[in-house]
Amino acid sequence: MTDLIGRAELGDMFAQAAACIRSEHHHLTELDSIGGDGDHGTTMLRAAEQIERGIEESSTASLTDLLRAVGWKVLGVDGGASSALLGTFFAGMGDVELRQDAMNCHDLARAFQAGLRAMSRQTKAGPGDKTMMDALVPAVAAVTAAAAVGKSIPEALDDAALAAQLGAEATKDLVARYGRARSLGERTRGYPDAGATSVALLFRGFSAGLRREL
Amino acid sequence: MRMKKFINEPTNLVAELLEGMVLAFPDKVQLSARNIVARAVPKESGKVRLVTLGGSGHEPGLSGFVGQGMLDYSVAGDIFAAPGAPRCLEGIRSACAGGASALLIVLNHAGDVLSGNIAMEMALREGCKIKMMITHEDIAGGPNVEDRRGLVGFFPVYKVAGAAAEQGASLDACLEIAERMERSMRSLAVAVNTATHPATGQPIFELGDDEMEIGMGQHGEAGTGRMQLKSADETAEIMLNMLLDDLRASSGEEILVLINGAGATTLMELLIVFRRVAQILAAKKIKLTRSAVGEFITTQEQAGFQMLIARMDPELIELWDAPADAPFFVRR
Repeated sequence: MTDLIGRAELGDMFAQAAACIRSEHHHLTELDSIGGDGDHGTTMLRAAEQIERGIEESSTASLTDLLRAVGWKVLGVDGGASSALLGTFFAGMGDVELRQDAMNCHDLARAFQAGLRAMSRQTKAGPGDKTMMDALVPAVAAVTAAAAVGKSIPEALDDAALAAQLGAEATKDLVARYGRARSLGERTRGYPDAGATSVALLFRGFSAGLRREL
Repeated sequence: MRMKKFINEPTNLVAELLEGMVLAFPDKVQLSARNIVARAVPKESGKVRLVTLGGSGHEPGLSGFVGQGMLDYSVAGDIFAAPGAPRCLEGIRSACAGGASALLIVLNHAGDVLSGNIAMEMALREGCKIKMMITHEDIAGGPNVEDRRGLVGFFPVYKVAGAAAEQGASLDACLEIAERMERSMRSLAVAVNTATHPATGQPIFELGDDEMEIGMGQHGEAGTGRMQLKSADETAEIMLNMLLDDLRASSGEEILVLINGAGATTLMELLIVFRRVAQILAAKKIKLTRSAVGEFITTQEQAGFQMLIARMDPELIELWDAPADAPFFVRR
């Protein structure tokens, strides 16, 4: 099976995800100024730095240790709920049994699901609440569905990137029910959620990271 | 309008303000790790430690209340942002060192609670003897207590739980006191002018020249009561009645009142508001048993105030009256 990725590819996925955040962080701040307090872009930029540092410092680690290291680094960004949830997601991905050095599409789906479960222990937000979940839940579902029909990891991540993007765009029509934006209620309609947009950028990066590789 | 603040590098705000605090009060506080404020003289072993966490830019809250009779550790986050879970865990580890028990007090804000929960999961896994409680007394959040934010209510909770811990109460007893105080209090905020985010220079909300907003959160989170600017007496009356209703306070009860300035509202104004609160309570035959007026938690130069009322029992009053010696609160 050629459909395995190792430490290097996982590193590329995260590196490209960080790069996508870097190039868009001003836009994220603009979006957050509408519903939140305008610090989301800065927080995500710092999260991107920590993702890069996590990859760098775990060059010889197992896949699960790499995921935990990236997650713990992102948790260390003092950036409020978004970095805490994102860090929980990445660290939670490392809570699955994986081979030391390679994973297939099913493993990746299991890891994403574990990340989502870890996140759900910390927030009650779900799809429809105008949060990161609106992009994350469909993205994880897309990887799971792709694995089930035997798609490769790059194909699965393409599906996930598209699902995340559509999910993020659809938050435009929603009213925030969580986080600082919640109190603004109807005033948040008409703009996509900054957190969901970030998740879409991360998945765009995941997919691009492997495209470059293959 | 351009931001006019005496600051240096925006990314160094928290480190510099905490450096200033420990230099100004070297006999009371020290930094035990990056942006973690601890007592200069640690509490005797065997006594419960109090730990808190929360964003900065709200001085003197929260780190200004580290000291005898109050907190042992305060994990300071960035401006208006929760500290990350790894540093919260670090604070908990310091508090629980040598097998000590500790109580973590968290104000109900999404990021703070998340960091607290994640750090608690790790700390309990490591065997730390720690319990966590959340303050959520802001009635603007609606009837569901989980939706209510933690405003200045942290202060009475630090005060009574800190006094209990100092007197040698067990972790469970300190938690019981903290939760009893928490259940007994209600708060509400009003804002008339925005604050500037000191790192970005941007106003954190917009409010018309002739408007005020009741129910606004600590960081300008919108409330429900945007209205025409009113006098001190009218505002005090509206807010106090909302609080008394929610607490279901009735005549003959003993109530503590705390008026907290948001940063740019003068002590003159706070005292005028307080005076009206005292008058209304007297008219309703509710006993004003204890009071506090001043700045306990601010949001830069935001103008407005928070009003807190709490139903007090003899034990809570005794703990409220107990000595404290923190940089920004001293009681002999």
